[in-house]
Amino acid sequence: MNGKENLSSKKYTLMTAVLSVQNITKFYGSIQALKNVSFDVPKGSVFGILGPNGSGKTTLLGIVMDILRPTSGTFQFFGVTPDADRRKQIGTLLETPNFYHYLSGEQNLRIAAEIKGRGLDQIDDVLTKVNLYQRRKSKFSTYSLGMKQRLAIASALLGNPNVLVFDEPTNGLDPVGIAEIRELIRQLASEGKTIIMASHILDEVEKVCTHVAIIQKGDLKTVGTVHEVLSRNADAYASIEISADNNEQLLVVVKTIPGVKDAYLQDGYVRILCEQSLSARELNKALFENGIVLERLLPQRKTLEKTFLEITGTISEQ
Amino acid sequence: MLHLLKIEWLKIKNYRAFWVFTILYLASIFLVNYIFWNIQQQTFERNPGAEQIFGNPFAFPKVWQTVGWTSSWLLYFPGMLMIMLMTNEFNFKTHRQNIIDGLSRHQFITVKMVMILLLAVVITLINFATGLTFGSITNSAFSTTGMEYLAYIFLQSIAYIFFALLLAVLFRRSGLAIIVFILFGLIFEWLITAIFTFQLNMAPYAYFLPLQTSDVLIPFPFGKEVIYKNAPSALSLVIAIILYISAYLYFTRKKFVTDDL
Repeated sequence: MNGKENLSSKKYTLMTAVLSVQNITKFYGSIQALKNVSFDVPKGSVFGILGPNGSGKTTLLGIVMDILRPTSGTFQFFGVTPDADRRKQIGTLLETPNFYHYLSGEQNLRIAAEIKGRGLDQIDDVLTKVNLYQRRKSKFSTYSLGMKQRLAIASALLGNPNVLVFDEPTNGLDPVGIAEIRELIRQLASEGKTIIMASHILDEVEKVCTHVAIIQKGDLKTVGTVHEVLSRNADAYASIEISADNNEQLLVVVKTIPGVKDAYLQDGYVRILCEQSLSARELNKALFENGIVLERLLPQRKTLEKTFLEITGTISEQ
Repeated sequence: MLHLLKIEWLKIKNYRAFWVFTILYLASIFLVNYIFWNIQQQTFERNPGAEQIFGNPFAFPKVWQTVGWTSSWLLYFPGMLMIMLMTNEFNFKTHRQNIIDGLSRHQFITVKMVMILLLAVVITLINFATGLTFGSITNSAFSTTGMEYLAYIFLQSIAYIFFALLLAVLFRRSGLAIIVFILFGLIFEWLITAIFTFQLNMAPYAYFLPLQTSDVLIPFPFGKEVIYKNAPSALSLVIAIILYISAYLYFTRKKFVTDDL
């Protein structure tokens, strides 16, 4: 990216950024949890912050919510340095559900609504939304992990905020709960809300996010729309999986087709590496002209998971 | 501030442990004085001349000091109560959540301090009622003389509970904070006082230790010269207490407002 482009894109994001983070560094003693992290969260995006455990995701969100102090760096919500009143307009679930154990779910939400100064009339609504209405009178200490998590999400929804911050929102939920929360996030996004979500579950981010920032050991590795991040890290060659009646014959023929760089047998299929310009359609046509009818033709889409692992390296490198 | 107090009220309203503890403590103020009064009555019955020589500690105007001195031993309980309320927030991480939801750090810690003031007012009122009761049943004429001891009780309560709050904010764990609070107040301060008094012959200086200052202000009702030799003037003690309270307030606030939560 050249300087001019950089400048104009910055100007654009400054105008529309819900959250803007500049050069945030955080030390815990001698341990550096965040290294000079900067990015913007555009309005209306579902912004995933992706990273392995202990990469600094929660620290970053803790700093923008004023419960942790950055060693250096600044941040703004809607272009201004936020104060307590600004936080009232943001629904946040940070790290773990934090509630008074001796109070019921309903009483806990009452306190949250009272602090926010809004949403007192929505307590029943949000409890219903997360399927906790039946248990609203039970003490928080009697809730299961998944119920606690859902109460925290209900609390974040109080006052119908336009910006939501979710740190590992599906933690402790069962598969049905995970699907429900994913649906809820999609629904909130379709209402035009901006959602900032930290997660180490790649699948989760890929399924609901429009934007992604990948962070590792406090280092921001890459940031952009999911599409941008995927294409920026795209391989030089595309990968296509094919098979026919006779795979040995197919292997010999396919290597003669222009654009195919390599082909090999794998798991009973022929896997080819080819120029990005060679489309599945052209490949099929060329093979047909060579007398081969394919019974399988599967262009391999590069997943966020693969990209993530490439960027962050293997576990031993972390 | 009323809004902040309302939030605190929602936190404690349905907190049974808090109410059991508080009511037991407040009742104890009266009960401990009743026990002391009872022993006093029996002593006087057995030694008819004693009342003439020593005077009755439960007669006006002495009763304010007596009640204040007796109930001051119980001040560790409201201290523990405050430690419990504050470390609960740390345990449940609700101090984080309250701030995430939109309280400022300053508001969060200030309302805790206002709670201490309210608690100190309640303690003083109970002391007043207790003093009034025992003064009245001791066949003496009501007197406002000596009522400055109620103000001392108020100051002493604030000093003890603010100290407890500081420990809670520093240690974040109820067990640790309570142990340090009690060990310091009941063992270490007395130990340091003893060293100052008997080893170094510097008695008056030891009276300015954090909790000792307010203890010296409300001495044992039978002659303070016996327990607190060369005690400094009440005014200097009051000034010292106020300085201590200001220091507790400053450091508690500073710790909570500037640190990672």
